Amino acid sequence: MKEFWLLLRSHIKTVITSITTMGAFRFISFVFVIACFLLGSYYLFFRIFTYLLSVEMIGPGLTDRLIEMSFFVFFTMLLFSNVITSFSTFYNDKELDFLFSLPVKPTSVYLVKLIENYLYASWATMILAIPLVIAYGVTTRAPLLYFPFSLLGVLIFPLIPAALASMFIFSLLRLFPRLQARDIILLSLGLIMALTFLYMKITNPGLLKLFETENERELLLFASNLTTIGGSYVPSTWLSNILRGLSTAHMSGFFYSALLFVVSLAATILAYLVAKLLYVQSWLLIGEHVARRRFKRSLLSFHSARPTRTFLMKDVLIFVREPTQWVQLSMFTILLIVYIFSLRRTPMYFTFPLWRTIVSFANFAYISFVIATFGVRFIYPAVSLERAGIWLLGSSPLSFRKIIAMKYLSNLFLAVVIIEALLIFSNVVIRTDNSVFFIMPIIALFVAASLVSINLGFGSRFPHFNEDNPSKIAAGSGGIIAALASITYVGISLIILAAPAYNYLASEYFNRPVNYPVIYSALAVFVFLNILTIGIPLKIASRSLVYADF
Amino acid sequence: MSTLIVRNLGKTFRNVSAVNGLDLELRPGEIFVLLGPNGAGKTTTLKMIAGLVHPSEGDIIIKGINLNEHPIAAKAHIGYVPDEPFIYNKLTGREFINFIAGIYRIEKDHFEERMAAYFKRLGIGEWIDEFSEKYSHGMKQKVIMCQLFLHNPDLILIDEPLVGLDPKTSKTVREIFFELRDQGKTLFICTHTLSFAREIASRLGIISEGVLKFTGDLDALSTISGSRDIEEIYLKLTEESTTADR
Repeated sequence: MKEFWLLLRSHIKTVITSITTMGAFRFISFVFVIACFLLGSYYLFFRIFTYLLSVEMIGPGLTDRLIEMSFFVFFTMLLFSNVITSFSTFYNDKELDFLFSLPVKPTSVYLVKLIENYLYASWATMILAIPLVIAYGVTTRAPLLYFPFSLLGVLIFPLIPAALASMFIFSLLRLFPRLQARDIILLSLGLIMALTFLYMKITNPGLLKLFETENERELLLFASNLTTIGGSYVPSTWLSNILRGLSTAHMSGFFYSALLFVVSLAATILAYLVAKLLYVQSWLLIGEHVARRRFKRSLLSFHSARPTRTFLMKDVLIFVREPTQWVQLSMFTILLIVYIFSLRRTPMYFTFPLWRTIVSFANFAYISFVIATFGVRFIYPAVSLERAGIWLLGSSPLSFRKIIAMKYLSNLFLAVVIIEALLIFSNVVIRTDNSVFFIMPIIALFVAASLVSINLGFGSRFPHFNEDNPSKIAAGSGGIIAALASITYVGISLIILAAPAYNYLASEYFNRPVNYPVIYSALAVFVFLNILTIGIPLKIASRSLVYADF
Repeated sequence: MSTLIVRNLGKTFRNVSAVNGLDLELRPGEIFVLLGPNGAGKTTTLKMIAGLVHPSEGDIIIKGINLNEHPIAAKAHIGYVPDEPFIYNKLTGREFINFIAGIYRIEKDHFEERMAAYFKRLGIGEWIDEFSEKYSHGMKQKVIMCQLFLHNPDLILIDEPLVGLDPKTSKTVREIFFELRDQGKTLFICTHTLSFAREIASRLGIISEGVLKFTGDLDALSTISGSRDIEEIYLKLTEESTTADR
């Protein structure tokens, strides 16, 4: 255990050093963003719970279902994210060569890496779960004891998927050491989806039935009458039972707290024993089976003496060959398709033209936020992913301005395709009226152009040339600042566009006169804002690279 | 015309001087080897000439072009090999070479055969179509060396060329350097390997604490230090500067 504490202390020291050396501006921005996110999420959950609990008869039941469903989604996502990060943490980390050469027990290395994996894969879930738990406690006027116990539950809960993922990956790689990261990701994604579906089919078949109704009350009753979402054997159900029990000072809260704690401890001990048996063996076997894949023909084989084309081909090839990139893009796309289909399945909102228009504005806001998220995850790391190869570009006759222009245009193309496709499909589903249908894609072009510029600008200003994992790059303090800037931009744009939108609704459905000066001035302000949000970040991006020392 | 002229070059990082008042002139067909202890300013000097670090003061002129005023035109004459070779993990060695050729606007007909010969000579032919993430340090170094021959640079900047190379490849690399010299190219090499420096250098430079203490050939160095042993001279010069600073 002494070795474990020593290793853990050195890791904690590294984290502290990276925080203390990040610079005052970056540190303050980082803290500010996290605080804003926590407070904003708390406020949102508080409003949702306050509304739901005030709904007669079905309110409390519906709230419980919502919490249970959220925790179940968290649990499934945690399982998947832990499997993805496990491979890089337990096998691909360069630090392991050094750690395994030290006279320390492999299980000490495992425990340190387990904590690292747990934190890296679970921090986002925790940041979302903490305000949810607090908001629920405040809304239900829970006793004081509720808060420490439920927060502890949120911290312990991700330990189970972390332990399960490490056991899964050790067993898999011990049996099949030739597996590549891509195979593991695809295999685990398929397995988790199939098992979740199977489990739900057995424990809660009603949930999987497609439910269509035009009646709001019928829908709410259906949701509140579902017994459990995940079933009583799933840790997410225990966590939601902790919240429900402790908020009413019921003994079941303490029982489920103890259950969650015992099972988490047991899972960790079991994972420790599996690691003792399989970890080093599988790590050594992977090293022996270096896969030799040959690529005689590829995009770059069709050589072009044009730097722009060559550069784009290189970016496309690297993207296609990097599983963490395309798997996450595929998941992102799947979620968006689910969103479009969910719009189709709730036609009750689209009966009246006024509602259709309001929903289409809300849909536009949602899609803008989606593109902001896409920007932070996929565009922000674009410059950092040049990695140490930046020396090559820096010493080549290709200017950094041109590199930024190429990155901007290629990412803009992708962002425009996504935002326009989403807008057009969703507006067809919503049956938005013609004028809104044609104006929104034009406004969306400005939104895409600005968001790409903002993320590229911050990505160049705060590059991580030593990191090769795009998710880790996006999760860094610079990525969080870029996320704040993107969300702020979308927020300001929506506020500006709210004036013409309101004017349009008032004239179209309440026969009020159109106030053209307000519409034109709002659009002028919007265009001016976009000139700034496209121009300034691009300027920052070029200057950051041109004047940087590599 | 001199390939490289460096005048009063200096670099300060947060009030700490890394390189100070460096003057140097290199002619075509010259191999200049810069020696110095760790942290002496060798890599910073090389990176400033490669356009990767901005000088705090001074001028760098490559083939008559001021690097600060016309970076793109000046960089077209440079070939650079860093101390830590980098190739994009998800590209093969051949794809990487094709990528560099595209960046330098070189047509495939102009390099394919030549590159195949270099791959064979450096012993990387077997690995060239595999992802570079599987390459050893030495193999990466060899691929990076190959990209030097794509755009025929006049000034070749190399940081620690022998690190990670096996003895056979080290010998081949030395032969290639002599061939380049004979073709009239100028080589600027930073290294710690004194035997390699003695064998290859037309002219030596010794840098310590950011100051170029000496430039000249081995004979001139022996004359001022009273020894023919390069190791002894190196230690004497670098220790002298440290003692004087104390």
